[in-house]
Amino acid sequence: MSRGSGAGYDRHITIFSPEGRLFQVEYAFKAVKAAGITSIGVRGKDSVCVVTQKKVPDKLLDQSSVSHLFPVTKYLGLLATGMTADSRSLVQQARNEAAEFRFQYGYEMPADILAKWIADKSQVYTQHAYMRPLGVVAMVLGIDEERGPLLYKCDPAGHFYGHKATSAGMKEQEAVNFLEKKMKENPAFTYDETVQTAISALQSVLQEDFKATEIEVGVVRADDPLFRSLRTEEIDEHLTAISERD
Amino acid sequence: MGDSQYSFSLTTFSPSGKLVQIEHALTAVGSGQTSLGIKASNGVVIATEKKLPSILVDEASVQKIQHLTPNIGVVYSGMGPDFRVLVRKSRKQAEQYLRLYKEPIPVTQLVRETATVMQEFTQSGGVRPFGVSLLVAGYDDKGPQLYQVDPSGSYFSWKASAMGKNVSNAKTFLEKRYTEDMELDDAIHTAILTLKEGFEGEISSKNIEIGKIGADKVFRVLTPAEIDDYLAEVE
Repeated sequence: MSRGSGAGYDRHITIFSPEGRLFQVEYAFKAVKAAGITSIGVRGKDSVCVVTQKKVPDKLLDQSSVSHLFPVTKYLGLLATGMTADSRSLVQQARNEAAEFRFQYGYEMPADILAKWIADKSQVYTQHAYMRPLGVVAMVLGIDEERGPLLYKCDPAGHFYGHKATSAGMKEQEAVNFLEKKMKENPAFTYDETVQTAISALQSVLQEDFKATEIEVGVVRADDPLFRSLRTEEIDEHLTAISERD
Repeated sequence: MGDSQYSFSLTTFSPSGKLVQIEHALTAVGSGQTSLGIKASNGVVIATEKKLPSILVDEASVQKIQHLTPNIGVVYSGMGPDFRVLVRKSRKQAEQYLRLYKEPIPVTQLVRETATVMQEFTQSGGVRPFGVSLLVAGYDDKGPQLYQVDPSGSYFSWKASAMGKNVSNAKTFLEKRYTEDMELDDAIHTAILTLKEGFEGEISSKNIEIGKIGADKVFRVLTPAEIDDYLAEVE
């Protein structure tokens, strides 16, 4: 190899390529896309909603065991896009950290603190050779006591940003383009608008009309800050509302 | 953590005697967003571009300029996640100093501690260097101070400096504009003008950050409204 010291290793562990890039981290982003699933998150004026595809690979599988939506605490939701095994491990650690936080400080862990904690963990995997990065993009949602509804996204590079709306996974770019148009004027969505914007964004980028069993929807609302996944009937109501609206 | 398995350094000498990983890290810094700092006669200003990947990002959730102590601020060019690690470690150092000596850590000492961490990541086993350069602005008994720390762990005191994309243009601009007797407000104007030089698109209080410290020895990040006022003065 002709690249001098460390020749070639830049593809195997997290060290800099000659262009100052980290290939392993970029591959982790590809792994997220390779899972073939797209997720959307939208923040309204008093609620946050995340939507993702639910693809059950086999009829004999228990539908309820295939999920990318995780409660971290009663109040914090996490939507994982990418490698499911990695996300289970991440969620397990996040739950532990959030419980530890509650015990130490006497109040619930805020969404941005959880997002920062996840991002800080991811950063370690970009700098130390002993572990690979996670193949997961995590969206964290919650109602903050001071700042209201929060939607954060954490990626394998260790970035974490608060979002008005966002997307992750295979059709991330298409979804972002769609959402940028919707969010340009900073609309203060009601709860129903928030959920329906998220679902219709996903339908639009995938060019598909969902059945209620084909998606998962997670929400938090200011007047009821508990994180919960919508029941199939509730999703159906929103789907009907969307199709009647169009 | 389990990093002891990789006890060998990833940053090793090339046959020509260069540490290639450090040079690559500097490339990462060089492709980062522009940051700059100016030391005035009565204070220091640091400023940076804050270009976000999408309009969907909530600008209020991003703070590129951070406090290390009440009288020391820092900004970076390069990889944001790496910066957080350095901020955390530096704050801890500052806090330990305060606990031991019951007085705030001098700027030089904090910079040295931070630089030591960055150096260690060029020589330790199983880690890559930090993909960031820092500009540290502080005011202590020795007056206003501005330091730049690089991925190699080397640091210098500057009258004015820039880093990231457009370094060379920004530095030439600063060389032309800098004067020894500059006051803080002039320095802020110069900082904005320098950022404006290489700026793609319209500069606004949403896509830049400014931090300043004056003789009151309180480092402060300007609010968007304050930045707007300065932008209007520069027009």
